Amino acid sequence: MPRIVREAEIVWEGSVARGSGVVTALSSGAFELATTLASRIADPEGKTSPEELLAAAHASCFATSLGSELARAGTPPERLEIRCRITMDEVEGVGHRIVSSAISASGSVPGADEAAFAQAAEAADAGCPFSALIKASATVTVDANLGGHDGD
Amino acid sequence: MATERTAHVTWNGSLLEGKGTIDRVGSEAFGPLDVSWPARADEESGGLTSPEELLAAAHAACFSMALAHGLAQAGTPADELRTTATVTFVPGTGITKIVLAVRGEIPGADEAAFRAAAEGAKENCPVSKALAGVHEILLDTRSSIRSE
Repeated sequence: MPRIVREAEIVWEGSVARGSGVVTALSSGAFELATTLASRIADPEGKTSPEELLAAAHASCFATSLGSELARAGTPPERLEIRCRITMDEVEGVGHRIVSSAISASGSVPGADEAAFAQAAEAADAGCPFSALIKASATVTVDANLGGHDGD
Repeated sequence: MATERTAHVTWNGSLLEGKGTIDRVGSEAFGPLDVSWPARADEESGGLTSPEELLAAAHAACFSMALAHGLAQAGTPADELRTTATVTFVPGTGITKIVLAVRGEIPGADEAAFRAAAEGAKENCPVSKALAGVHEILLDTRSSIRSE
């Protein structure tokens, strides 16, 4: 299989507490984003953070995996909506850790019932490389519900 | 105190012909950003981002914050750090390698001290910890101190 390589860069100026960084998508040029420590651990105030970028990565990876599983089952989706929530917490004795990634999936999938959708979501979780990575150190949960997200 | 960050993605159509959009994120810092399988799996991105590029961005940012913190604690705060993360993805296998290449302007730190701080950041930043399953995470700090 081909090796696929993607690159991003950050330039950080100054201290952690008062400095700031700019994260740039080098491979695609698709984004250039400011980040600060405050935006990471307190109110984001319109700035992104490593955990938010990871949430976007996991959500978009899961979307392709779920679409692929549904197509394989003979019920390709018209539309999928995936939400990912990454939680970072201060763990006693070890400092800040990413403790969980919670995926919620809903969608419009002609021919699939709730059970088939849930089964495809389970298979997508098993096949998505980001789920596999995060599971090595944190909890990954998948809530699949054709009707929509709970408590969005 | 726990910190939560969210992202919302919509996918339309099949894997190979369909496309997805990162509609929005909790901070509203970016989105919509389109993604597609061809843009993810081809050698050329075609201007679209991908989960691997977003991971590269997450890891580079996390590492740089941890390194800035470590250097400050060692009494040699950085003026500027420039980190590139390169993520390698092999379809069917997964994410096999991440290379962190960092250049810094750090008054008062020598190469060895910079290297030690960078190793510490690579080992301990929360995204590195979350990526413990990646076979190879490499660090490149060559020419790290810019000499004017």
